[in-house]
Amino acid sequence: MSSCEAAVACSGLVRRFGDRDALSGLDLEVARGEIVLLVGPNGAGKTTLLRVLATVLRPTEGEAVVEGCSLPGQARKVRGRIGFLAHEPLVYPELTVTENLELYAALHGVAGERVATLRERVGLARRGNERAAELSRGLRQRLAIGRALLHDPSVLLLDEPTAALDEDGRSLLRQVLAEEGRTVLVATHEPEWFSGVATRQVPVRAGRVAA
Amino acid sequence: MRAFRALVRKDLVLELRTAEVVPAMLVFLLAVFTLVRFALGSSRLAGGSRAATGMLWAVVVLTALLALTRAFAQEREHGIWDGLLGAPVERWIMWAAKACSLWVFLAVSQVVAVPLFWLFFLQQGPSPSIPVLIAALLLADAGIAVLGALLAGLASAGRAREVLLPVLFLPFAVPLVLVASDLSVATISQQPSGFETLKRLGFLAAYDTIFALLGWALFEYVVEE
Repeated sequence: MSSCEAAVACSGLVRRFGDRDALSGLDLEVARGEIVLLVGPNGAGKTTLLRVLATVLRPTEGEAVVEGCSLPGQARKVRGRIGFLAHEPLVYPELTVTENLELYAALHGVAGERVATLRERVGLARRGNERAAELSRGLRQRLAIGRALLHDPSVLLLDEPTAALDEDGRSLLRQVLAEEGRTVLVATHEPEWFSGVATRQVPVRAGRVAA
Repeated sequence: MRAFRALVRKDLVLELRTAEVVPAMLVFLLAVFTLVRFALGSSRLAGGSRAATGMLWAVVVLTALLALTRAFAQEREHGIWDGLLGAPVERWIMWAAKACSLWVFLAVSQVVAVPLFWLFFLQQGPSPSIPVLIAALLLADAGIAVLGALLAGLASAGRAREVLLPVLFLPFAVPLVLVASDLSVATISQQPSGFETLKRLGFLAAYDTIFALLGWALFEYVVEE
């Protein structure tokens, strides 16, 4: 598979925090429409890889290309195409569900009407006026899924997406993953839950893809 | 422009709901004025209105530190930086929005601070010119906000941010306090020439412009690394 066909391509990717290499020469290619599971122990570099691809961290060395745009040079182009679900829901606890989604809609240049659609889709239609802090952890995770999908990204980066989700929430996540055409990278400790939807598993250890 | 408006609105709504910054600034102001007033046992400072006006500027800068310390607290404490940085928005817009919110917080605190200052220290004797003082406050607030938003972003990434921020901010605030204080003190006992006043206001505007340009150019590097 050549890099130009890949939705995500990393070559010799290094991300250093002080003296520690969180990524140490990671190579990875993910084709468009693939659902790839990143598996491995805590501290293996899965979250760091997702944060680099989400343009939140700059790579120290190596090359990362997302949807044909290289990072960090073309990060701004990439940002509009990526949805990032992190460990934290990345929402303001004291803002309501609607206010949080409206804020991210404004940041992504998405029409305000999409907020109501997304709220409905993630099962928070009747909780629009509730503050994020008042939601249970599972409902906050749904809000985070709504935030990540707001701008209809072609690449989804999901970090432990099943955490705190109840059965309804997991069913919502399954629907999102089943949507055709979207490339998804999932960092997870529950690979068995994704069996049937995932294209393949990529083991990550010590900051690189394990053989 | 939509992203800028949304970010400013977010800060103002959060402040209205949490009341974390402005009430703390007001309590601090009131406490300092009360302490100085009663410690001296008189509304007249030893240096008269000049000393009182100079003290006002020192208090303005120290109060601003309270707002700056909390400037990116929500983003830091809840990991929201990753959400903001993942959005296709120029980083300088995030800095400009934060500077704008800080400017509003400073201006609101001074709406209360200036009358209190008058009440505590300037009931007798000459006072500085109100229009000049207000112009100086608005320009100084803009300088504090643009510089403060940049430094608060820088400090928010560090571990010793509560120590780092004052250490970074106060040296840069010295010229601002010197000129703003000089400007308002000069109007107490004499009518300074319009040229002198404009020259000092021009310095404050130049200070604002320089740090606005630095914020615009550097904020991306400050928050991304």
